[in-house]
Amino acid sequence: MPSDATPLDRRQRGALRLAALLAAAVGGIALLGRRADPAAQPLPPPAAEGGALTLGAVIALTGNANLYGQDQRLGIGLAERWAADRARRDPAAFPRPVLLSLEDGASDEQSAIAAFNLMLRRGVVALIGPTLSQQAFAADPIAQRRGVPVVAPSNTAKGIPQIGHFISRVSAQSSVIAPLSIEEALQRDPGLSRVAVFYAQDDAYSTAEVAIFQKALTAKGLRPVSVQRTQLGQNDFQSAITAVLPLRPQLVVISAQAVDGGNLIRQLRELGYRGQIVVGNGLNTPNIYPICQRWCDGILIAQAYSPDLDTPINRAFLALHRRSKGEAPPSQLTAQAWTAYQVLFEAIQRLQRGGGLQGVSLAEARRRLMTELLSGRYDTPLGPIRFSPEGEVIQGRFFVAEVRMGPGGRDGKFTLVRERSLEEGGG
Amino acid sequence: MESLLQTLLNGVASGGVYALVALGYTLVFSVLGVINFAQGALFSLGGYATYLLMGGRIGVNGAWPGLGLPVALPFGLALLLAALLTALASLLVERVAFAPLRRRGAEPLQSLITSLGAGVVLVNLLQILMGAEGYAFPDGAGALAGLPDMVVLGGARIRTIQLLLLAICAGAVLLLSLWLERSRGGKALRAVAEDFTTARLLGIDSDAMVRLAFALSGVLAGLGGGLVGLSVSLTGPYFGISYGLKGLAVLVLGGLGSVPGAIAGGLLMGLAEALVPADASGWRDALAFAILFGVLLLRPGGLLGRVQVDKV
Repeated sequence: MPSDATPLDRRQRGALRLAALLAAAVGGIALLGRRADPAAQPLPPPAAEGGALTLGAVIALTGNANLYGQDQRLGIGLAERWAADRARRDPAAFPRPVLLSLEDGASDEQSAIAAFNLMLRRGVVALIGPTLSQQAFAADPIAQRRGVPVVAPSNTAKGIPQIGHFISRVSAQSSVIAPLSIEEALQRDPGLSRVAVFYAQDDAYSTAEVAIFQKALTAKGLRPVSVQRTQLGQNDFQSAITAVLPLRPQLVVISAQAVDGGNLIRQLRELGYRGQIVVGNGLNTPNIYPICQRWCDGILIAQAYSPDLDTPINRAFLALHRRSKGEAPPSQLTAQAWTAYQVLFEAIQRLQRGGGLQGVSLAEARRRLMTELLSGRYDTPLGPIRFSPEGEVIQGRFFVAEVRMGPGGRDGKFTLVRERSLEEGGG
Repeated sequence: MESLLQTLLNGVASGGVYALVALGYTLVFSVLGVINFAQGALFSLGGYATYLLMGGRIGVNGAWPGLGLPVALPFGLALLLAALLTALASLLVERVAFAPLRRRGAEPLQSLITSLGAGVVLVNLLQILMGAEGYAFPDGAGALAGLPDMVVLGGARIRTIQLLLLAICAGAVLLLSLWLERSRGGKALRAVAEDFTTARLLGIDSDAMVRLAFALSGVLAGLGGGLVGLSVSLTGPYFGISYGLKGLAVLVLGGLGSVPGAIAGGLLMGLAEALVPADASGWRDALAFAILFGVLLLRPGGLLGRVQVDKV
């Protein structure tokens, strides 16, 4: 029987069939994807197979921030051992096993994004990292969109917790810490008036931190006689330094990353600068010692951690650190990385004990974990801390340290010179 | 006057290293007409080899902390041995990345890509073996023991290490220029650079001269890497790449394949960077490349290079 349908009708029907097929395919893929999505699966009981929750850590093990990543890997590893030991001794208090999955986030944004995506595919319950603030601004939004809690162990730039509800940090913002070292320099030399500033202009963290330093200087009535812009990876500062030295600075403020800043300090001293040097958080690692060697001696830095803090948790941290690294004192980055693991571990256990993880999906567990994390109080190697509703760390104690290098100039120590208690909420 | 002298010193100090790197490129380019992109990686290798020969310890990416050679040589000897080692690595690059393509009469562009690949492999090998962390040579490194940190010349300051670096760079460049100008081997190399086939017809072993050019460029990269490592520490396996890129710009600025051009280009680049106002020191690279652009607009063959004319 001949069909009454016109060619146009036939084309329309064909298009409709094709559209229906495509819709079915998309729906099927979405359904399969949902089934494959680990976040949609209910959590097994703690004792069952697969009952352990995995914490992902994305830190810089390669690239120019690897010096920080090495400290952080150590801190997370020590915290994991400490937590496992506690769980073994008191299984009732720590009912949910926790595993750690570590990935190199390198020192650039793309690598951090790739590592975050990998971790999300592995179905981690929460993330620690990334190492650099610049990486966090690129990678954290991915975790935020997927509803995965992130605890930053070392991002101190302005605006990190503001990325979203799931983003928090245990590293106090630079604006709280950085001015303390300027105050210390002024206390040592109340008459100082000439300040030179060096900062890495292509590093988001350094540019943010130097603004804080400049604000602190202005608040003290000091105007820099020179502001030198350097670049990440720059290692020859001869021109910049010889331009500054004729201005006879009495204080040099440096905001740069460890290798660049270490080289800058060395060259400043070699070229005859004898005044005070205040450095930012980028140089807050013992890994600068081999770079600036004996010339590191005397630099001032404000810190969020001091090995001299005499609390049970810090003593436990120091004991484990000593077992791993000998007598060398731990760095702030190591202590903060430990803290990031500790707060997540304790929040998971509290949630489990309260029944908050029973029968829920991984996605729901992540949401509940974030709420639990922000509501808790923690006794950490940094001192007692808690979080603001936004995810900002609230820490009461800060420290100013001076680097003292040992004979031979190969090893040194951040020596505590002043402890400051700040009002809660200052973070 | 004092500040002008300071600027000159700053420029010459960094320009000397650029000239050394550019000379390495020049030697290979003059005989083969291609750029050896592995030169920056060889520069890194020279730095690490010097550090290891001086008794430096490495971490093997945390797998083997404290690993090192059972020797701790003085800086001068370590630098020389490292330069020889880098020469061997450069010969290996020639064997792997250049010789097979040359035998098949491949386009120069293909050698350019294979040398880039060889450089990437070399840097990654360094990263696997040494780790990505920075290493600093021991304070003074034996070369400067007892010397002051800084020397003041007519009111201008220069670090003693940089003065040493400048002196060794100048010595190496002078020796190489004399050898190329006066020795039988140097003349043979220049003949091959002039015309590869004619030189072979005249009885010169052109392939041996190619290998010699690679070995010499390896020596220069090794010397440069060791000296810069002493001056500013080894900041990771990629530290030679930035010098390699700068050397490449100097090569083009001075004129492809021209030895005096490489020296003049290196010094000009260093001086241009030093002339950047202190407050804008972060824009040094941008200015250096702007100068390169300007010179090439006025003299497409570079400062002392010759524009190649294609004959019909």
